Amino acid sequence: MNYTFTLRTVFPYLGGLVPAAELTLTISVLAILISMAIGAVVAVMRRSRLRAIRFAGAAYVEVMRNTPLLVILYLVYFASPAIGIRLSSFTAALLGISLNAAGYMAEIIRAGLIAVPRGQFEAATAQGMTVWQMFRHIIFPQVFRTIYAPLGNQFIAVILASSLASAVAVEEVTSWMETVGANSFRFFETFVVAAIVYVVLCQTINLARLQIGRMLFRQPDAR
Amino acid sequence: MNGAPILELKDVVKRYGSRTILDGISLSVVPREIVCIVGSSGTGKSTLLRCVNGLEDIQGGEIRFEQTRVEARSKGIKAVRMRIGMIFQQFNLYPHLTALQNVMLAPMVVHREDRKIVEERARALFEKVRLSPRINAYPAQLSGGEQQRVAIARALAANPHLLMFDEATSALDPETVGDVLAVMRDLAAEGRTMLVVTHEIRFAADVGTRMVFMDQGKIVEDADPREMLAHPKTERARQFLSSIRG
Amino acid sequence: MTGSLVYLPLFLKATGTTIWLSWLALLIGAVGGTLIALLRTSRLWPLRIVALLYTEAFRSVPILIVLFFAYFGAPVMLGFDVSPFVAATFALALHASANMSEVVRAGIESVGRGQWEAALASGMRMREVMRHIVAPQALRVILPPSVGVYITVLKESSLASIIGYFELTRTGLLVRETQGGGFGPLLALAAIYFILSYGISLCGAALERHYAVGGATAGTDAVVGGMA
Repeated sequence: MNYTFTLRTVFPYLGGLVPAAELTLTISVLAILISMAIGAVVAVMRRSRLRAIRFAGAAYVEVMRNTPLLVILYLVYFASPAIGIRLSSFTAALLGISLNAAGYMAEIIRAGLIAVPRGQFEAATAQGMTVWQMFRHIIFPQVFRTIYAPLGNQFIAVILASSLASAVAVEEVTSWMETVGANSFRFFETFVVAAIVYVVLCQTINLARLQIGRMLFRQPDAR
Repeated sequence: MNGAPILELKDVVKRYGSRTILDGISLSVVPREIVCIVGSSGTGKSTLLRCVNGLEDIQGGEIRFEQTRVEARSKGIKAVRMRIGMIFQQFNLYPHLTALQNVMLAPMVVHREDRKIVEERARALFEKVRLSPRINAYPAQLSGGEQQRVAIARALAANPHLLMFDEATSALDPETVGDVLAVMRDLAAEGRTMLVVTHEIRFAADVGTRMVFMDQGKIVEDADPREMLAHPKTERARQFLSSIRG
Repeated sequence: MTGSLVYLPLFLKATGTTIWLSWLALLIGAVGGTLIALLRTSRLWPLRIVALLYTEAFRSVPILIVLFFAYFGAPVMLGFDVSPFVAATFALALHASANMSEVVRAGIESVGRGQWEAALASGMRMREVMRHIVAPQALRVILPPSVGVYITVLKESSLASIIGYFELTRTGLLVRETQGGGFGPLLALAAIYFILSYGISLCGAALERHYAVGGATAGTDAVVGGMA
């Protein structure tokens, strides 16, 4: 084995790492936001009184959770021209990851909704609150407390999922590793650098989530 | 204790699928009455209350509150709810808000009143239910009886014309039942109009102006509480009252 | 879409390849995961730290870069070529082992302290305690989430297509190319994965119900493995 690990060899390429990391972060943040919106809709659908709507919501979740993200990305990327929409790689990747993540997000939000006792809805309604007021003052704060930790974990899952965007030509961190590795043949070094980037991103989010959680939910303990 | 009825139910029918919960209920309440509704579990007592403020819809008959027709899914239901205060068996305080915030929320958000005025009123109400020291506690830090008193303050904060108590003491430890009943007695003495579903017959006899006995979705007897206790007119009422006495 | 029916035998073979790859990776991952779990619950703290770092590292790193490293890095570093199959199995197994270690750990820890103590007090040695007392109970807790891990590995196997392994996704893409592009083969792909994955999860749910007698299980829903 005449391969020596020399991190220095990768230094010239680190400049390109910054925009790549930006892209990873951008896709991830946008995907989380979009998937929360879609996921909220699907979660509410699953609690509808109409069986057809409940089924549609459940079907969405099952399809997204049982289909590989790569296949979903390819579907969005390759098939959208076929139905007449031209999407950039970035948009296609974002859409695919968001749609997939929404399936998981819907379940997280649904669990949060279920955790709110029925009496809360009743008390708020009995006081004359509109649906929006009830949601904003009573339901959302309680749901948020429940889903906060799983949300953090989902954010991390999306960061890791963003690496698949490289398969549809988005130049994020994994793509950087591929390209630089191919150009320099220093695959170990590029792997380590890329791994460090992901580990730092994921652990930072985790720690931030814990810290912010401590600040937000500063409630004294129950009797 | 007279005047136009504040609440009228005419032949109200409520069904859940094939089960009939309320089977032709007719009831009239005038201001300052304290109407106590008693009966075995599952006879529709709670459902009756929930139909009055539109938490449940009805399949037959009519409900009128202060001359307005009560229709569960209509736009007008909000105005009705703003005038009725409901106290639940499970308290249903908002856990993420302090006691004070619980009491202040609806007047600010639903009634759009000025924050300062609402806060003053809230503090006065805490005095009234004797919970001023606990004003900044969260529901999880309060005992059941304390939570229920906060719930009562919460209902009062919206200046309701009618108070509905849905088995307000059934979920409480025996020691704290007395505290809550004391507050309810004070409210009755003030001249409030109250609709009270309860198992506390002694309270009904002491404080109630009327006792309504329900069985299987119907009103079987409706009379002065002391009268009904001494001389129940129907066999079912007699059976019920003797079974819970002692 | 009828054009792709001609390719049905090809799809079936590719499905078999996918199942085989996933199964192998899971097996190796289960063995590895069990070892890591034992380290995690060891009495020696250096071992515990190593196991913890291993698990945390592989759950903070996308499997794709491990895959690339295994496939492209090996020839350069080790001097010999590595087939896509080997690289894929390696990467999938590594990832699966991190997830399985958590599952196995939960299983071991689900066996109450009291059981250990009773067994040891009766004179059994550690090995025997493991074999007769801990393992049977732990397995009940481990089995349902393992199904979840398997489904994750199944979905991740699609990544092997990127480095040229002829599993299901690659086959689907190839069929699509020969057909001049379009929807059909990709939808067929999605459908096959869905049927496989959903079907297996139903079996897992049945397993869970079967084993639910006598104690809590972590459930196949426990998010193990992320989004794949």
